[in-house]
Amino acid sequence: MADERPHADKQPHAPAGAPLLDAAYGHDPVGLVMNIQSYSTKDGPGIRSTVFMVGCNLRCLWCSNPESMYPGKKVMYHANLCHRCGACAQHARPAGSITVAEDGCTIDRGNIENLFELPDVCNFDAYELKGREMRASEVASKLLRDKAFYETSGGGVTFSGGECLMQADFVRAVAERLHAEGIQIALDTAGLWDYDRMRPVLDLADLVLYDIKAWDPEIHRRCTGQGNARILENARRLAADGHELIVRLVVVPGYNDERGDVERRLDFISSLGSAVRQVDVLKYHKLGLGKYRDLGLEYPIPDVPEPTDQDVQWILDYGRELGLTMTVSG
Amino acid sequence: MESFLSFKPQNDDCDFERIDRLQHRMEHRTPTICPERAEIITKSYQETEGEPIVIRRAKALDAILSQMTIYIEPDSLIVGNQASKNFAAPIFPEYSFNWVIDELDEFEHRRGDMFHITEDTKDRLRALQPYWQGITHEDEVLRNLPEINFKAEKQGVLHRGGISMSGDGHIIPNHDFVLEHGYGGFVKIAQEKLEKPDLTQEQRDFYEAAIIANNAALSYIKRFSKLAFEDAERETDPKRKQELEFIGKTFATFMEGGARNFYEAVECVYLTHTLMMIESNGHSFSFGRFDQYVWPYYQADIEAGKLTREKALEIITHFFIMTNSLNKIRPWGHTQYSCGYPLYSNLMVGGMRPDGTDGTNDLSYLCLEAMNQSRLPEPNLSVRFSKHTPHSLIKDAARLIRKGYGMPSMFCDEVVIPAMLTLEGVDESVARDYASMGCVETAIPGRWGHRATGMTYINFGKILEIILNNGCDPETGIQLFSVNGEEGTEVEYRDYDELWKEWCWALDFYMKLAVDCDKVCDRSLKYHDADAFASCTINYVLERGKTLKNGGSEYDYVSQSNIGMSVVGDSLAAVKKLVFEDKELTLDELRRAMHDNFEGPEGARIRKMCRNVPKFGNDDDYVDPIVADVYESYLALIPNYSTDRAGEGPIGCRYSMSTSNITSYVPNGFDVGATPDGRLAGKPLNEGCSPCLGADHNGPTAVINSVSKLPNKRMAGGQLLNMRFAPGSLAGEDNLEKFTNFIETMRYKNIFHNQFNVLDTETMRDAQKHPEDHMDLMVRVAGYCALFNTLMPETQDAIIERTELSL
Repeated sequence: MADERPHADKQPHAPAGAPLLDAAYGHDPVGLVMNIQSYSTKDGPGIRSTVFMVGCNLRCLWCSNPESMYPGKKVMYHANLCHRCGACAQHARPAGSITVAEDGCTIDRGNIENLFELPDVCNFDAYELKGREMRASEVASKLLRDKAFYETSGGGVTFSGGECLMQADFVRAVAERLHAEGIQIALDTAGLWDYDRMRPVLDLADLVLYDIKAWDPEIHRRCTGQGNARILENARRLAADGHELIVRLVVVPGYNDERGDVERRLDFISSLGSAVRQVDVLKYHKLGLGKYRDLGLEYPIPDVPEPTDQDVQWILDYGRELGLTMTVSG
Repeated sequence: MESFLSFKPQNDDCDFERIDRLQHRMEHRTPTICPERAEIITKSYQETEGEPIVIRRAKALDAILSQMTIYIEPDSLIVGNQASKNFAAPIFPEYSFNWVIDELDEFEHRRGDMFHITEDTKDRLRALQPYWQGITHEDEVLRNLPEINFKAEKQGVLHRGGISMSGDGHIIPNHDFVLEHGYGGFVKIAQEKLEKPDLTQEQRDFYEAAIIANNAALSYIKRFSKLAFEDAERETDPKRKQELEFIGKTFATFMEGGARNFYEAVECVYLTHTLMMIESNGHSFSFGRFDQYVWPYYQADIEAGKLTREKALEIITHFFIMTNSLNKIRPWGHTQYSCGYPLYSNLMVGGMRPDGTDGTNDLSYLCLEAMNQSRLPEPNLSVRFSKHTPHSLIKDAARLIRKGYGMPSMFCDEVVIPAMLTLEGVDESVARDYASMGCVETAIPGRWGHRATGMTYINFGKILEIILNNGCDPETGIQLFSVNGEEGTEVEYRDYDELWKEWCWALDFYMKLAVDCDKVCDRSLKYHDADAFASCTINYVLERGKTLKNGGSEYDYVSQSNIGMSVVGDSLAAVKKLVFEDKELTLDELRRAMHDNFEGPEGARIRKMCRNVPKFGNDDDYVDPIVADVYESYLALIPNYSTDRAGEGPIGCRYSMSTSNITSYVPNGFDVGATPDGRLAGKPLNEGCSPCLGADHNGPTAVINSVSKLPNKRMAGGQLLNMRFAPGSLAGEDNLEKFTNFIETMRYKNIFHNQFNVLDTETMRDAQKHPEDHMDLMVRVAGYCALFNTLMPETQDAIIERTELSL
């Protein structure tokens, strides 16, 4: 497919010296996990744990999890914890790659060679290492500790990201272990992958949370860096194969909220039939802003307003007309 | 009007506008000091010198009840006042008085729990001081307390509880019994007993006192009958006029026998409570299982068509509001341990009946709705639940919790009942009838005597600091024992095992002193808390003819209040890992850093290492068992100790363990230097069994998983967990259901009790800056709720620092 081109990401913050992921661990693979969020209530039914995997094949301008979007581990700098003691500047190589000022430290992320040593150097936790390699068995046993919560509430485990299926072998290995214990599995995915290759892990999912970010391929490309032909095709195939879907429509004013495009998205979702259990309208929010700052990244769309419930009401109305179950969450 | 939980009114029998008026008045109540009781009891005591104390106290009660100012609160269906004005605190000079006089000019300037006082009141109180010199309960305690106890107190290890200078309180009457017989019934029983031959002098005195005290209560009731008719005459509103006439008629014969209907049952519960709080000045006078013992009256009236659910709701709501008209003043030193004018009047609904079936009924729901409508700190509402409890009740509780008032707190039958069964002589049907007395202290209503917990406070954090300093308190230099036989703070431990053994030894050392303190207080209260009225409400007292303090009750279990187990466990884990296992630090380096409060670059480096050691509250299998060990170290000591009533009649007379420690974790923290977990000097210890402030990073399920590893099913004195949630995380129907499920999961997670603050940091910070805008902001403090504005700033900060969890 023409629209799947390799990423040409420029990564000014490229994790020089970051340990690389070694995926060759056989049946107990290692994954790069950003976070395991217990008591997650926004990623499917009941009380869930959500596993955020690192790395994504889209570059959505509005992404609120930049730490999980780009590959590899990250180092965040939290100016509010910083004591301006200068220990990091002293330790940084080459000299001068960190400068300390009243309002915090400025890190020359393009030049610094030993960024990943700073979390150990700083005594005040102003530098935080994000992302951790974990074995599938370790993740599974951690998740199983909340089994009673899943069972009481009809919840389970959701794999999210980033794009969780970029580490499909790992996700599959964890999911198999959980399934053996009767835990419900949900995948939160943006759908840009090879369907046949993903089949084994898709078959383990009891529910798929599926993002459709635009109908028009050009809008999709402008907003995410990728076209959407394969995404739409995969949605059709999931539905045809009887997978239960919750489709998520993110709405970003001025980027993907054009009436005609949103309506086509909903028409398409409606055409998927009974596989679609619910459609969640996700209002764009700026909660990720601080993370961009702490990662030394520029926030791509600083001037976009957060939509209100009223702003998205017409979307709910249109979807309901089509007979879809619609919800809003932020 | 507050939006309903699940209640849907079918008629206008409940006047919600009136409830709002009452609620508003009570929310803006003014704390003052009332000198009446002090004056009357002083005169009475002067007149009865030489008589047996139990009779003197009954006569004093009679004098107070017949002479004190009485009033009927406008709008209220519930009648009975504790002092001359709404929310005025009476004074109890017989327990302790010098502090009252010493602090008279400070009451209005306190950082928390401020009281208004007039110059006239000050003068009237000062005039009484000479009589009480050297004869109060506190004087007796101070005379008898061994010198070493004073030293342990100076070190900051032991804190003499309120019990050393006030009455005991901590009692849940057998309300079934009170409602059945009435105060008149108690008089009859006592009279019959008096006619029996072979009574001891103690018994004769007790029965005589019981007659005087209960007759005093009846006269007090009759005063209200007269007053109600007088008020009715002046009343212009026809509905209110009719109500006052009804009250007048009811009170003409009220409580001469048992309660005759639902209204009388509720009024009796309130009045018994108020009378006990006039008789003596403890706190935690609690209501027990209100929905169980009032149920027969409710059911009969509903079936007879004499009562509607709406009217019942109105009566219960008035009752709830009126419990906030009572007050207690404590010395500033004690106030820090219990901020927010707490009375800890626990009221419990739900849970199993003694036969194991589910006891949830209409009243369980109505009490939740009444709390929703009253929104005040008292009563301290608790909900019991088990696998039989309807989902709808837990959901209503979740709805109320979500509103952010901090109530109800949730008790899990599947954990508490086994804990009660660890007590000798308690069988399953008895254990199933438990209720909370005060905060989270569990007791069996009508069977326990005074005081489930909160006798002497033991600061676990301080004991740890002391053993890391060779038995010497680095702050005061006081050394009651030496680890290595040398004087001074230098000490080495070869391995963790040696440190742990020292911990166990030192804990026992201080527990012995704490038990001695309990006994000194208890023995003095035998005299000063010889309260016939309260005693009559407890099983076996009228049978034995003994006050509670003399051993009149069916069972006797008490507990001390233990503070800081999580800090100690986290700290021991840090020492174990950094010093003995990884050998990254020497104990000496660590001790020096702690001594310098982790200041300077080296201090910061060591503090970082300390903070990186796993912390309790994150479901970590390294540290959680160590925290559990700290509990075990105290549980192991319990069988060695008994109470002063052993052999006097009650079953048990033993200690149980409790983490009900009110706000003491804040002032106890003031006394403890920096600790190996990375906590800075003077900062709060942990609250109850909750993780240390800000130590839990993995969300609410991890906190639950950590707490589940503690020996909760042996915490018969009560185990307190406090969690804070962000309001947004509970918004919406879907999140409400998930939160309800979260509560229900406690059953499988060995969680004794849980309570919640649903507040965001910004709101509380704003309330600190602009208290006037947040008059109604109510928070969970420890085992109770208080209006945020009434707390001292350090306690406010400790609540804000508690990790805000998101679902």
